[in-house]
Amino acid sequence: MSSSVLEAREERWAKKIALARDLAADSSGRPSSLAVLTLRMPAFLRISGRFSPNALSMHASFVALLRKRGIGILREEFRTSGDGPESYISVSLDPLELKRLAIEWETTHPLGDLADLDVMDASSKPITRSDLGFPPRKCLICENEAAVCSAGQRHEAAIIEARINQILLASEKTDRAVDSAIGRLALTATLYEATAAPKPGLVDPLSPGAHGDMDYLTFLASAAALGPWFSEFAKLGRLHKGQPRDLLPALREAGKFAERDMFAATGGVNTHKGLIFSMGLLCAAAGRLQAAGRSPDPAACVSEAAAIVRGISERDFALLEPRAAAAAVSIGSRAAAAGAPAVQGAARGLGAATGNPEAVADNPAAASAHTPTVGERLYLAYGVRGIRGEAEDGFPAVIDHALPRLKAGLAAGLSWNDAMIDSLFVLFTTVDDTNVLGRAGREGLNFLRAGAGRVLMLGGMTTPDGRGAIQAMDKLLVERNISPGGCADLLALTVFLELLATAGDAAAGGASATAGTSAAGGATAAGGATAAGGATAPSSA
Amino acid sequence: MEIRKSATAGTLESSDVLVTVAPGSGPGVEFKVESIVIKQFGKRIRSVTEEVIAATGIKNAAIHVQDRGALECTLRARLETAIARAAESA
Repeated sequence: MSSSVLEAREERWAKKIALARDLAADSSGRPSSLAVLTLRMPAFLRISGRFSPNALSMHASFVALLRKRGIGILREEFRTSGDGPESYISVSLDPLELKRLAIEWETTHPLGDLADLDVMDASSKPITRSDLGFPPRKCLICENEAAVCSAGQRHEAAIIEARINQILLASEKTDRAVDSAIGRLALTATLYEATAAPKPGLVDPLSPGAHGDMDYLTFLASAAALGPWFSEFAKLGRLHKGQPRDLLPALREAGKFAERDMFAATGGVNTHKGLIFSMGLLCAAAGRLQAAGRSPDPAACVSEAAAIVRGISERDFALLEPRAAAAAVSIGSRAAAAGAPAVQGAARGLGAATGNPEAVADNPAAASAHTPTVGERLYLAYGVRGIRGEAEDGFPAVIDHALPRLKAGLAAGLSWNDAMIDSLFVLFTTVDDTNVLGRAGREGLNFLRAGAGRVLMLGGMTTPDGRGAIQAMDKLLVERNISPGGCADLLALTVFLELLATAGDAAAGGASATAGTSAAGGATAAGGATAAGGATAPSSA
Repeated sequence: MEIRKSATAGTLESSDVLVTVAPGSGPGVEFKVESIVIKQFGKRIRSVTEEVIAATGIKNAAIHVQDRGALECTLRARLETAIARAAESA
């Protein structure tokens, strides 16, 4: 054993005793204790640096577990000494309870076998597994006590190293399963939204709405192309270690590739450009929550997403100001030529913030070479921040309006389809949909709102009058070339947040059963209930 | 080497050992061994301890070995360090 390792251990020991003394000095009278996490592997591996990222994520995961249990954390520190990575966590908790949580974490975390979580009370006394009646820990290789094998060096270093690699691989597989679970729910939500009918002005299985260049199958092909990307966004979120806002460039980069795949799948039609941005963002947010050991409830997801995009509209739109006049003219001419490729290409983009890397460039020369996205042009013309603003504000239209309506509808026994359509109409009445603004101006938006308000007053999907009004509205919107694609995207986000929250720990644990079940159940409902009402549900599988 | 004061080396962490060396009451060296692997390695720990005591030539000392499954080389190093620290002038 090298002397630097032995010295580093003595230093750690002295630090532990000093921290315990700090706990004892606190006169609040509350119980307190200290946990210290180190890597459980031979010293040559511990100090190799190879496992430092794992040690940091183990530390974060244990701290997250403590927070989840409502335990007050007095102090935490992660550092690397001559004996490898080590972390110190002082908490307001009885030492035996802390040891119990430490054992729980060691037993349940995919990398728990590679960590030693030592617990000490305020009098510097180590709490052991036997204090709680637990047997000694087992060796990584065989069924014997770990202490016996390690003291006697019973296994060759190469065999231990191979076993550790195996544990890491298994853990990565679990992580990937979580990414996939998040991506699958995002894809499910995208398909639910596409399938929900009738959606006035929008593409659904019954009608292509106000679109001549795409239909329901185009949306299915597009969704299929995006499924793997949603998992990729979740992975980017999960792996990101720094500040939330530093994640955005990587998401935009991935977003460009997702767009490329979307266009390839749709033959060049923009079906989901806006959704790639907003759903990608929420997937990344869910991935980050997962990495922090937090449950992906809707409020946590949207606030994480908002943190990632904080300041985005100020940054993106600031570059546009000098060209405002010219761009406003171009909006007018394009709006007049509704149906022309430029406008159709923007059909569903609620101001896609993906795929415009120039927009984040700091120098004006680069900015002036940039062709504004729909969202940027609409900001210039109407001052609306579109999907950027919605994301920055934590998706208030979703959290405050659409999601409560969806939940209420489902709780009242509505089919997924009908609950989604009602939720969509709530969005129609509250959102400044840049797709509508782009194609039909402020007047079109007012028309949509008035119609949607009337539908909701008549009872929406729950009454024959409401359903009749929805049918009539479809015709009117098509005539006026109004397609509220921004609202449709927000509906998909709403569905995603609901699925994610209800799949909950199943998704977080990498299990697929819950997600799969709810997907199948919902698909039946979505496919079945249409405006015709009472149409029998086609079997979903 | 003369033991002048009480000193320790090591820790009570897994795979380590805490050795305490203090001036003794009698002419010889008495030592006490505790270990979580006493059944498997008790004999070895005692013989290593005796070896180090003999090699350093100390007398009049009380040594307490609290082993948490340390490697033999770790035990040896901790014993030597504790004895050296206890032999420094107070």
